[in-house]
Amino acid sequence: MDMQATKKKLNLKEKYRAMTRDLDWNPSYQKLEDIYPYASYEGVKIHDWEKWEDPFRLTMDAYWKYQAEKERKLYAIIDAYAQNNGHLNVTDARYLNAIKILLTGVTPLEYMAHRGFAHAGRQFPGAGPRVACLMQSLDEIRHAQTQIHSLSNYNKFYNGFHEFTHMFERVWFLSVSRSFFDDAVSAGPFEFIVSIGFSFEYVLTNLLFVPFVSGAAYNGDMGTMTFGFSAQSDEARHMTLGLEAIKFILEQDPANVPIVQRWIDKWTWRGYRVLTLVAMMMDYMLPKRIMSWKEAWEVYFEENGGALFKDLARYGIRPPKWLDQIAQDKDHISHQAWCTFYNYALAANFHTWIPSEEEMDWLARKYPNSFDKYYRPRLEYWREQAAQGNRFYNKTLPMLCQTCQIPMLFTEPGDPTKICYREADYKGEKYHFCSDGCKEIFENEPEKYIQAWLPVHQVYQGNCFPEGTDPTAEGFDPLAAVLRYYHLESGRDNLDFEGSEDQRNFAAWRGQATTNA
Amino acid sequence: MSFELTIEPLGQCIEVEDEQTILDAALRAGVWLPHACCHGLCATCKITVLEGEVEHGEASSFALMDFERDEGKALACCARLQSDVVIEAEIDAEPDAEIIPVRDFDGSVQHIEALTPSIKGVVIELDEPMHFQAGQYINLEIAGEACSRAFSIANAPADGRRIELNIRRVPGGVGTGWVHERLALGDRVRLSGPYGCFFVRKSLPEPVIFMAGGSGLSSPRAMIFDLLAKHDTRLMTLVYGQRTRAELYYHEEFLALAAAHPNFRYVPTLSDEAVESDWNGLRAYVHEAAQAHFGGDFRGHKAYLCGPPPMIDACITTLMRGRLFENDIYTEKFFSAADAQQVRSPLFKRI
Ligand SMILES: Cc1cc2nc3c(=O)[nH]c(=O)nc-3n(C[C@H](O)[C@H](O)[C@H](O)COP(=O)(O)OP(=O)(O)OC[C@H]3O[C@@H](n4cnc5c(N)ncnc54)[C@H](O)[C@@H]3O)c2cc1C
Ligand code: FES
Ligand SMILES: [Fe+2]
Ligand SMILES: [Fe+2]
Repeated sequence: MDMQATKKKLNLKEKYRAMTRDLDWNPSYQKLEDIYPYASYEGVKIHDWEKWEDPFRLTMDAYWKYQAEKERKLYAIIDAYAQNNGHLNVTDARYLNAIKILLTGVTPLEYMAHRGFAHAGRQFPGAGPRVACLMQSLDEIRHAQTQIHSLSNYNKFYNGFHEFTHMFERVWFLSVSRSFFDDAVSAGPFEFIVSIGFSFEYVLTNLLFVPFVSGAAYNGDMGTMTFGFSAQSDEARHMTLGLEAIKFILEQDPANVPIVQRWIDKWTWRGYRVLTLVAMMMDYMLPKRIMSWKEAWEVYFEENGGALFKDLARYGIRPPKWLDQIAQDKDHISHQAWCTFYNYALAANFHTWIPSEEEMDWLARKYPNSFDKYYRPRLEYWREQAAQGNRFYNKTLPMLCQTCQIPMLFTEPGDPTKICYREADYKGEKYHFCSDGCKEIFENEPEKYIQAWLPVHQVYQGNCFPEGTDPTAEGFDPLAAVLRYYHLESGRDNLDFEGSEDQRNFAAWRGQATTNA
Repeated sequence: MSFELTIEPLGQCIEVEDEQTILDAALRAGVWLPHACCHGLCATCKITVLEGEVEHGEASSFALMDFERDEGKALACCARLQSDVVIEAEIDAEPDAEIIPVRDFDGSVQHIEALTPSIKGVVIELDEPMHFQAGQYINLEIAGEACSRAFSIANAPADGRRIELNIRRVPGGVGTGWVHERLALGDRVRLSGPYGCFFVRKSLPEPVIFMAGGSGLSSPRAMIFDLLAKHDTRLMTLVYGQRTRAELYYHEEFLALAAAHPNFRYVPTLSDEAVESDWNGLRAYVHEAAQAHFGGDFRGHKAYLCGPPPMIDACITTLMRGRLFENDIYTEKFFSAADAQQVRSPLFKRI
């Protein structure tokens, strides 16, 4: 007999389900609490993991296929870029310093994200979020690898790119982004997904990516730009995961709302602090500017974030704390950060400079309320001093904020001439902070933050010298020892751009490439 | 010139203009497709083209790979039709949706009455019956203006020949002005329909809450009459608000309905009724009335919201505070030109 087999083709949703959640099972000889030991201590209550809606429906087989083709394309472009000496097409060799920050300060975060999502992907009791986190974990390691490969080309020619993993764990300013992610990956799975999946990927990622990727495009860096596009095609999946996670947690139990609120406050502020580096990069380090930090903040945070927080209000979530202070700060932080690095250029892996007249005019136009009044006079004074042979490099170490680990360079809300200091006592010790935000974050979890590895404290405790160093020896130069410990070569990797080896080499090679001399 | 686009698994058919993207056409037709960047970079809006030809526009080669183009994938936010096209998108099929092709219908005006100082009840007798689901709307052609306007059908489908509309006059409005001033008994009219996915999900067993304000009573009225006519026994509550008693049209009808059907509850409310009047019902906005009636807890319900966008917004907030979320809320916003173009976050898909 001829039976008509009318098996309906599975639609995308059913297919995804079959290949993911349906592979899950209920354990019979182990207790759930033992299999997922981190699922409850954060206080988040989940009643029904089945309510998790898969934010995207990509099965593993399709995933490999996509990523493989992305790699093929990306590497074809990176290879061509390398073969054609694409590095000589960038606008100006000062641009290289922006991507030194990208490679040393951001790329390791991709790797940290990979680890964090792998951990969350193991610890969530629901199969839906486990699979989603696992995929993001794979994306992130791909981002780390492709970013390293895109930038390794520069390492062949220029200084400061070498040993970025070594530097990431030691160099003073890199501890800012490092401690941010350490904080996230050492939290429970729920806080991790709110901190990175939601606050960072959704609320702040555009402020990180757009400046570097558009900055690359504007400044002739096709390799980095192509990497950016290839990563951006994963970004939507990451953002949707962050949004689904926050909706799911908020809908599961009203008791979750205040917990999530505290995380949103904390992680928006933590993320915003890390972005100080990006702010400085946008306003000072890109030879051809995209937009000012202030403009980027207004578009990507105030407008887009505004619409988001209006929707979140329906869950009883209010906008993150300290936004009023951020609104005042947007006129200042990029300048304050650049001034600090100009001071400490002795101990960084990139070069600094005083902006040209034309660049100062651009800054004055973009920052009519602050630049001419507070920062131009400072920069002009330093330029004058340098011209007279008094280029000042600060050799003492700054006090760091216990939470964000940024030197105390930010000013009081409402008074850009006064450095903001806060302090708290805990178990008989005094701790210092750059702001009310960082202080409150500390006070919510003091046991966590008293463990912070603060580069300045570590230097003073003698923990940042190469093995075998004798600090009591005659003529001991502590700064030189610290630089050796960082694997930075003084006079080559650090100091001013003017007169640097990068500057000389770029000019010579570009000259060879574009003239017959 | 325009092409026809069929969206699977809904089976919904829509018109797409020459320069219009699939995403734009779908969203405008009330079909939500996943999307994020809207310019070809993020691949959130990826769809499968089952039949026909599309042009990929500015789709990034990372977001839409070559092999995917060969496999018939496209990005809805960039793709434009080169022929009639059938696509499959990542949207959930609605088991309660009937797939009814949109058609043009002619009819004549059988009855007009002033329901309130600003709302007219218009009854149209169609020449041929139109099949529709209670809650859907039609586009009424505005004679002499070469344009049409959306109005929800206020009666249950029954034999399909009778179309009741409740039309509120928009000050300075072309279409509603024409209805209020020019449309007369016996006039011939043309309309197209049925449109929309605002209908009762009958397969879901939960009790329902209808929330209506202004002329937004039309769809819930059709839905309630339809459910009761089909002897549906679930509990249904209508929270219905107007500003004043004079505007509370169909009030007596709903009182009678509530008296006759124990599973139908009627909660009328007025937001701007003179203090000294003899109204002894609630004096509040719709969302406040619902909050009071349900004691602020909406769990375990399905809610259907219909009316002007600000009312819908306030109601959604109240429902969510009372722990009823997106998946249990259905809305029909009476958008007009005045409400288009607002910045939205992608947190919510349908509401
Ligand atoms: C799916 C759907 C179903 C609908 N069902 C109904 C219904 O059953 N009954 C009903 O009465 N209406 C309903 N509406 C609303 C109705 O379609 C509009 O009121 C109508 O399109 C207005 O047309 P108009 O030509 O009179 O105004 P237009 O000429 O388009 O607008 C005139 C001017 O008024 C402004 N304007 C228009 N509307 C408003 C407003 N609401 N508030 C403030 N300013 C405004 C415009 O910006 C414009 O400047 C529905 C809308 C939708 C989308
Ligand atoms: S919405 Fe981003 S690619 Fe279409
Ligand atoms: Fe990433
Ligand atoms: Fe801080």
